[in-house]
Amino acid sequence: MSFSEFVSFFLDIYLILILLYAIFIMSSYLILSGLSIIELRSYLKKNSFVDYQILLSSEYAPALSLIAPAYNEGMTIIENVKSLLSLSYNNYQVIVVNDGSKDNSMELLINTYDLIPSDQLYNAKIATKNVKAIYQSRNAAFKKLLVVDKENGGKADALNVGINIAQNPYVVCIDVDCILDRDSLLKLAKPFMESSTKRVIATGGVVRIANQCIIKDGRLEEIHVPDKLLPRIQVLEYLRAFLLGRMAWEKLDGLLLISGAFGAFDKEIAMLAGGYSTKTVGEDMELVVRMRRYMHEHDLPYTVSFIPDPLCWTEAPESFSIFKKQRSRWMRGTIETLWTHRKLFFNPKFKLLGLVSVPYWTFFEFLAPLIESIGLLITFVFIALGLVHWDMFVILLLFVYFYSIMFSVLALLTEELTYHKYAKIKDYLKLLEGAFVEPFHFHLMSVYAALVGYYEKIKGTHGWGEMTRKGFSKK
Amino acid sequence: MEELWKYYYEKDWVKPFLLYSIYFFITVSLALFSSIMVIRRLKLRNQKLESRFTPIIENILNKNLFESAFFSEFSAYEKLFKNDIFRNLMMESILNLHQNYDGTYAENLENFYVDSGLINDSYKKLNSEEWQIKCKGIKELAEMNVSEAFGALVKMSKSSNKILTIVAINACIKLNGSNGIRHLARHKHSFDLWTQLNILNALKLGNLAQIQGLEYLLTSKNNSVVSLGLKAISSFNLSEKAVYVQELIDDTTNEEILAEAKIVLNRIIVQNNRSFKYEFQ
Repeated sequence: MSFSEFVSFFLDIYLILILLYAIFIMSSYLILSGLSIIELRSYLKKNSFVDYQILLSSEYAPALSLIAPAYNEGMTIIENVKSLLSLSYNNYQVIVVNDGSKDNSMELLINTYDLIPSDQLYNAKIATKNVKAIYQSRNAAFKKLLVVDKENGGKADALNVGINIAQNPYVVCIDVDCILDRDSLLKLAKPFMESSTKRVIATGGVVRIANQCIIKDGRLEEIHVPDKLLPRIQVLEYLRAFLLGRMAWEKLDGLLLISGAFGAFDKEIAMLAGGYSTKTVGEDMELVVRMRRYMHEHDLPYTVSFIPDPLCWTEAPESFSIFKKQRSRWMRGTIETLWTHRKLFFNPKFKLLGLVSVPYWTFFEFLAPLIESIGLLITFVFIALGLVHWDMFVILLLFVYFYSIMFSVLALLTEELTYHKYAKIKDYLKLLEGAFVEPFHFHLMSVYAALVGYYEKIKGTHGWGEMTRKGFSKK
Repeated sequence: MEELWKYYYEKDWVKPFLLYSIYFFITVSLALFSSIMVIRRLKLRNQKLESRFTPIIENILNKNLFESAFFSEFSAYEKLFKNDIFRNLMMESILNLHQNYDGTYAENLENFYVDSGLINDSYKKLNSEEWQIKCKGIKELAEMNVSEAFGALVKMSKSSNKILTIVAINACIKLNGSNGIRHLARHKHSFDLWTQLNILNALKLGNLAQIQGLEYLLTSKNNSVVSLGLKAISSFNLSEKAVYVQELIDDTTNEEILAEAKIVLNRIIVQNNRSFKYEFQ
């Protein structure tokens, strides 16, 4: 085989692989979105006959323990805890875990909520860093509140402390700076009561972007689409992920990720599985995979549920540097989870989890940025060598570009038909504009951040990195 | 196969495939975005119609409610009654009002519901293929106290669709009190906790004086129905049912039911003793 024949052969193989990969990933998105839309329609139909108030007055409503880890949240912690204490649910406690904050979070909490040391003993069933004190309020109005002061150990460690202390059978893990819908607990608790044949081990809710939304007394008052391009495209990204992705995985019973911002877990199973892993920065995904793995290995029938209602609103990074930190961390978390649970990869013993979910995440979440970058590089080399023509490259780019726009518009239509949170047509036009810009702007940033994630993982970076937030607009 | 490989190898297909795909993506994107616009327009149109119809409906129902005006007195609006949006709005308003009134007022509304033919709309919904429309029909008939529909509702409560079952059972309770769920003793499907709470809630919303016959549920072979019966006895603190709970404890072989029954028995006895002491103090 001559050199030119070899190059031609390599080019053919390369093209067929790239084409197959592109077709596979694109059609998988379409299939998943189709499934999601079917599931979403079915959920909304059912939900129109649901009276969540039944749970409010029932003694049989599942008892929940909300765990909110806090690190240097002094600026907003009082208001955020107040909002957690005023959720519509009767049978719940709020556990705020101060993870060794260096600011005045503890003082603020003690003074505002009239806290005194509690005589509750700390039983570390899951090993954690040292707990300095557990506080409860003298004021009966805050009897639901427990505040734990502990040595700094990271988010996963703080959540584990919360799980150890939780007195109720279900734990709801949240980010303390998230804005929760008033009925979010009612909606999150319901799936735990719905299955009589399979144990519901976890429930997740939809997270949406709250940048530029108006918040009053810890509640969302007005919803707007951000003017800034980066958070605006993230609105679109979250719509696609939650409306057109996760519902499909829920239907397939292959959901691997429940957002760390808002998710509920069966405490017993979470503890038996070992709680949150402190060795990964993707502790939310890792816990779900480990709980699933535990249930499979012990041959216990189970399911993971997902609520498509927008229950939790969070602030998205507005600057590239913060965005890069967040996304590189997500990539490290994905790599760490997939590596820890590599036994699941194409393992028929774990059924759909091993045969579909984990391989899908491996090929389309973990490897996609790498394949894309290498593909682009090789294509440029081929163009430079005259093996691929520019016009062909442009057509290929347009093919991907218009597919991406079509998919984003599908997400917008789904939002319009379902939750219709963006009332103004101006908001839709802003999002559409974002869809046009995204492939040249946001997508490249995401791929770059993912590559940084690979690099950091290889380098051995472990921490979260400083995640400064701008804070919500208040009325 | 060879021809297919040759066709692939010559790569003549690549460009047209990509170009047609691009045209397809653009067309679909335009269609989807147009759909968003059309849907918004339709919503706006419906909102406008609703705000036009609402004062008319309020006027009609006020006259019916407080002046006992019959449907026949509103012949001026005959055309409007043929409009689907108007009928749906009228139905909604009648149901809302009916929830808030009883006695003669409620009877006036019930008569209007029958005379205007809205009752036929509800019956039609019962025959729909779609379960959610059936549920709407059931809710309407139950709210308007159409007891003739009870038989049909019992049938529907045996559906394998959970929501339809819940709505139908709640309607049975609305129409017939706790007697409306006696048939559950023979129910085959298992009720999860959510379904049980819905049924309990329907019982709570009904006339508490009508709560009787719940002990039948304890005789069911369906453990979820037995559990529902126990929860109901406990929630309403029916100490007079203690003897049936005791019988259940003696007879059952299911450990979960046994544990639940013991808790319920203990609770109603303790509660009963407390009120007994209170009466003598």
